[in-house]
Amino acid sequence: MNLLPLFQWFDATSIGVAIRNSTDIFPVLEVFHIFGLTVLLGTLTITDLRMLGIGMKRQSIATVAGQLAPWTMWAAAVTIVTGFLLFLSEAMKCYGNAAFPWKMWLLLAGILLYLFVQRRITAPGARVSPVQLKAVAVLSMTLWYGVAVAGRAIAFV
Amino acid sequence: MSIFTICKAIQDSSIGTQLRESTYLWPAIEGVHLLSLALSVGTIILVDLRLIGAVMREEPVTDVIEQTQPWTLAGFITAFTTGGLLFWSEAGRLYPSNSFRFKMLFIFLLGINALVFHSTIYKTVDKWNNAAVTPFRARFAGWFGLTFWAAVIFLGRWTAYNLK
Repeated sequence: MNLLPLFQWFDATSIGVAIRNSTDIFPVLEVFHIFGLTVLLGTLTITDLRMLGIGMKRQSIATVAGQLAPWTMWAAAVTIVTGFLLFLSEAMKCYGNAAFPWKMWLLLAGILLYLFVQRRITAPGARVSPVQLKAVAVLSMTLWYGVAVAGRAIAFV
Repeated sequence: MSIFTICKAIQDSSIGTQLRESTYLWPAIEGVHLLSLALSVGTIILVDLRLIGAVMREEPVTDVIEQTQPWTLAGFITAFTTGGLLFWSEAGRLYPSNSFRFKMLFIFLLGINALVFHSTIYKTVDKWNNAAVTPFRARFAGWFGLTFWAAVIFLGRWTAYNLK
């Protein structure tokens, strides 16, 4: 499947053009993107550390995961919305970028893992073995830190 | 000798120059600096949110503070080390930047905030450890931390855009 026309279309959207033509909008979006990332990665890391059994052990897994989930979700919303706007403004730069597809696949995998596996196995009363919890936590950290590394790499590759 | 001259000399030192001109090392250090935010500021934000009563309201304050502390410390050691190296590589450019200066000032103020919190109201934590709503001075420390850490992150990213 050729994605070039799709990227060209994103690149030509009026929002994308407006952001590209402004000196200030891009940095402002970038600043919120990084702030969202801090809260997103921070809350996910604490949840993962709890699942690994090496952080916040005085609280149950369900308590830590449940209490942090709304913050993870809001931070994800801020990071993804600002990220999408940043993408619109430089879609053609992303098209030819070697790190960008990595970031998108890792992001998709991270979101699916969180929503359909991590949330379920950390719910109150979930029947799950410590090994499963640890495997999911390691995978979660790998995927999400991978998203951040690939994202930063976009600027350098 | 002015501070600017000193910063310029730091930047022009052999280590500073090598860092700045490296193809992989500089982006790697910058990447680690960014990722260390999750542990350092991420865990601090959790503590601040507990202090203002926005998260883990039913968990003791000391549980949140004591159990995040080692991770916060590890995050900050990483952030300060990588941040120090990044400064070394472009000290002369960073020193005149207003967003960089305010970032340093705010980090200093946040240090004072933490120091005041731990040496005053936190001493009486036994009396309000399980309270969903903590005393005013603890809530103040929480709001102060949230506001200024957010500002530090904003300014840190902004600095890259206003270097001459």
